[in-house]
Amino acid sequence: MVSCTKINDVGVVQVNKALTAATVDAFRDQLGTWQEAEPTVKDFVIDLRNVDFMDSAGLGTLIAVLKRITERKGDMKIANLQKKPRMVFEITRAYKVFEIYESVEDAIKGFD
Amino acid sequence: MIAVINTASACSWVEGLGEVPWALLPVANRPIVDYWLEACTEFGVRSVHIILGDEAKQIEDYIASGSRWNVVVEYIFPRKNESAVEYIKSISDYWKNGLLYFGGPFFMRRRQGFRTERIKELKTCCHELDSEPYFIYGKNGDELMGLLEGCNEPNRGLETIHVHPYIMTSLNDYFELNMKMVKAEFSRYVTAGFSSKDGSSMGCNVRTPPSSHLQAPILVGDDCRFGAMTTIGPHAVIGNHVIVDAFSELIDCLILCDTYIGRNLEIRNKIVSGNRVIDPLDGTTIQIDDSWLIARNRPELRTEDVVRYIILWGVALLIAMVQLIPFLLFMPLIRLSGIAHFRKRQYHDPHTGYIALPDFEKRKDRKSIIYRVFRALSLDRFPRILLVLRGRMFLCGQPPMRHPEDDGIIKELKQYYPGVFCYQDYNRDSDRLVDSLWYVHIRSLYEDIKILIKALVSRFLTVGRKTSMDGK
Repeated sequence: MVSCTKINDVGVVQVNKALTAATVDAFRDQLGTWQEAEPTVKDFVIDLRNVDFMDSAGLGTLIAVLKRITERKGDMKIANLQKKPRMVFEITRAYKVFEIYESVEDAIKGFD
Repeated sequence: MIAVINTASACSWVEGLGEVPWALLPVANRPIVDYWLEACTEFGVRSVHIILGDEAKQIEDYIASGSRWNVVVEYIFPRKNESAVEYIKSISDYWKNGLLYFGGPFFMRRRQGFRTERIKELKTCCHELDSEPYFIYGKNGDELMGLLEGCNEPNRGLETIHVHPYIMTSLNDYFELNMKMVKAEFSRYVTAGFSSKDGSSMGCNVRTPPSSHLQAPILVGDDCRFGAMTTIGPHAVIGNHVIVDAFSELIDCLILCDTYIGRNLEIRNKIVSGNRVIDPLDGTTIQIDDSWLIARNRPELRTEDVVRYIILWGVALLIAMVQLIPFLLFMPLIRLSGIAHFRKRQYHDPHTGYIALPDFEKRKDRKSIIYRVFRALSLDRFPRILLVLRGRMFLCGQPPMRHPEDDGIIKELKQYYPGVFCYQDYNRDSDRLVDSLWYVHIRSLYEDIKILIKALVSRFLTVGRKTSMDGK
């Protein structure tokens, strides 16, 4: 579901499936496990290049993850948002909540 | 003089908007065909031939006898492979004194200088795109025949009376037309509820709380409800029966009929039709399955659908009760012998996109009486029948389509009813696509019961031998 790597002390979380009610639990669990294994990583980039669809459960989970990260004094950015999830972000005004970048590299630079 | 309105031509870009036939697509809250029939009256035409296609029923229900437009309507189904021009030629005796033809998604966009009286000045003309006529007009039979035979050059005549022949070839053309109407042009097609003061139109029975902010120009249909703190407009075209929940903003958008817009949403530069949100620029469509976000607010079920649903749900319950004990007896034997097993596979689902359905698969290539009895009694379908009781499948319908193997077929289907039993259960030469299309065409309670009985009997008599549905 997710593959996590560390680049310049930033956790890059690549999501490999649609984020829907059926997949959010796996996403949350796998991300949580990685966060526990890498406690020094505070900032995250969620790479959504392989996410071609997202429902409200997926969006809600991203907001919950953002909340959890900011509570730990970190920050979270979104990269490679595809067209259909982008439309969900637009209609729900989620684009006002998240910082969205065209690529993972741009998102990592955004932490500077 | 007669008019011929062709609603049978194909129009692929409309499919993203749902099941509305293109002839009934609203432009500024009125169906395209409404403008055409109004034009018939303005051209002095009384007799109208309407060529019907796949969506005949919806169009017939809307136009009925045509008395609303003071015309007399005759409905025609085209012969196989007969083009609209061939049909017009075949009825040449009817239009010796003149013909008015509309075909395809075409709109007569009135320019500022347009006056209804100038219609009489229009000469014989034809507007076409890729050799497909969208508009033909003429008062002289010989001139018209010459035009249809290709002897006379098509005369681009509508511009002479300050009408822009607007041919829609994409969702963006359709969206742009609606935006042009709301921004400036609607005053040229004034209907009840229009206010020249701010160029807006408000339908009947529209409820807006004082905190709702309506910014002109907007076009609002009948029976709409706007929640507290909503912002509607500028440049919003809202169809009939639209509910907008609190705090939402609708700007530069087209909301088609029977749509619910949830709380605190922002719709900009989009078309919303039921639970579909469409970006008109590139046609990207997302189907929202969270009914509290965006939804169709009018149930699509008709009375006959409800009756069918209740009866077939009862039948499914009966079958499940009859199968329960044999299933509990045979399933442990199947497991012990290891001959077969249930395996979940990804299928297309009409509501949620995808669903994992249990497939009964043989593990070992050897004969087994238990396996054959299990299949003969259709116990392999028992888990799917339970899904029917949960409302996730139909008892009878089209074969469930695998993902991604059957993605091509799904694209061809406008309506998808995955059923536990289908034609393939008793017809070994069944073609999945053709049968699926045919099923939609003749779907009824009678057909479902016929499929059910034939499938159960066939599976029993063939002692569970594999059919074309297995392994697909």
